[in-house]
Amino acid sequence: MTADMLADFAHRAANTGFDIVPLAVPLFVLAIVAEMVWAARHTPAAYEPGDTLTSLLMGLGSTVIGALVVGLIALVAAWLYAHRFATVPPMWWAWIAVFVLDDFNYYLFHRAAHRVRWFWASHVNHHTSQHYNLSTALRQTWTGFPAFSFAFRIWPALFGVAPGMLLTVGAINLVYQFWVHTEAIVRMPRWIEAVMNTPSHHRVHHATNPRYLDRNYAGVFIVWDRLLGTFQAERADDPVRYGVVHQLGTFSLWTVAFHEWLAIIRDVWRAPLSAKLGYLWRQPGWTHDGSRDTSDTIRARWLAMQDEA
Amino acid sequence: MNGSFVALVGALIARPDIGPVLIIGAQSLVSLVLVLVLYAFARGLRLGSDVRIADAAHAAQMAAAAVSGFVAHETVLDRARIGALVRDRAGRVLLIRRHGARFVGRELTSHAGIRLDRHTLTLETGDRRSGTLTLDLGPQAQIWAASLRRLDGQGIAA
Repeated sequence: MTADMLADFAHRAANTGFDIVPLAVPLFVLAIVAEMVWAARHTPAAYEPGDTLTSLLMGLGSTVIGALVVGLIALVAAWLYAHRFATVPPMWWAWIAVFVLDDFNYYLFHRAAHRVRWFWASHVNHHTSQHYNLSTALRQTWTGFPAFSFAFRIWPALFGVAPGMLLTVGAINLVYQFWVHTEAIVRMPRWIEAVMNTPSHHRVHHATNPRYLDRNYAGVFIVWDRLLGTFQAERADDPVRYGVVHQLGTFSLWTVAFHEWLAIIRDVWRAPLSAKLGYLWRQPGWTHDGSRDTSDTIRARWLAMQDEA
Repeated sequence: MNGSFVALVGALIARPDIGPVLIIGAQSLVSLVLVLVLYAFARGLRLGSDVRIADAAHAAQMAAAAVSGFVAHETVLDRARIGALVRDRAGRVLLIRRHGARFVGRELTSHAGIRLDRHTLTLETGDRRSGTLTLDLGPQAQIWAASLRRLDGQGIAA
């Protein structure tokens, strides 16, 4: 492929967007098959067929819903782009810059998705598996659109980044995150662990151990966590337990997809007027009477117990 | 996947005059078939495992993982090791039960729905997702049933 062809492709991708996800799906399937064979030989409990079915169906549902709403998101992005303050040319350096910016925006979204209950309600389903394998990567949300999660990723259009560029780099970011959902890879070379999100870093993110709660929000580059104080390395003396603090204990699609939204409705309904909004924007586990735990209180209690011991 | 199905999906996708919803539908059908094939493959490989609770220490460890700050004081295991009851010094009782190839813990907040039948206790946690679980606790069943009365003022059906 010549430089001219590459430039032409980059221009077309910036105009219309290039969604790499459909092309990656066959690789996803092959990788899951390979990991299942690995698991059968080394650690059969790494997979649970019922859990895998739930994850894959969540992924399928998310894809269908995504296909139905992507046009609406594109409309919003196009409106922002039509009212832009500047124009970012689709040059090679701009593509790199937009990819890095989008990954930072993913970090911000992901951090909000764990620290603001409104966004958590949409994201929690991804964490509900007590297993950690490549099928877990596909346990994606059905409610990201009504939660307005896309707002974190499309605002650069207002500053002149073409919506097609945002779609393209966002899809690459999503595909990158697939391979980090595995226990089959213990560690990558040190320089990769230093810069990139890896299976080890992301195992920590999926952990319920108090030490690991709300850590490693990275999508592609782990440097955001290192820079912003949310990094935690995986430790051999604290093996990861996967899932959510209050494990669902079910493979029901309905429960996985909607349980936190229903819990929010219940909490807002029962709360006194002055506390109702707190159940939407404060962190998961917050209550107006302090009757439940947040990740902060769990960690604080755990640290106190460590000090006593 | 049989050939006519593939041909039908191919024809649907290839037609320029059909709407995007039909294309999404066709793609979703193919994806659904792939999902079911992967599920069948996982079952065929006998993935998952027949997990059991190793001992009281294992149950205590899972209780601590299930509820932040929970320190086991007393434990009783089901004879088949598929579940356990764990109590802390404050009197809180956790039911540990199997979920697929993992375990989950739920606090028993009431003994409404707890039934004693000689050596077995049937328990509900009050959480609809958890359903009911019958534990064979041997002679310990009666002792734990009596102590579970302290959870609230309701009696145990016998």
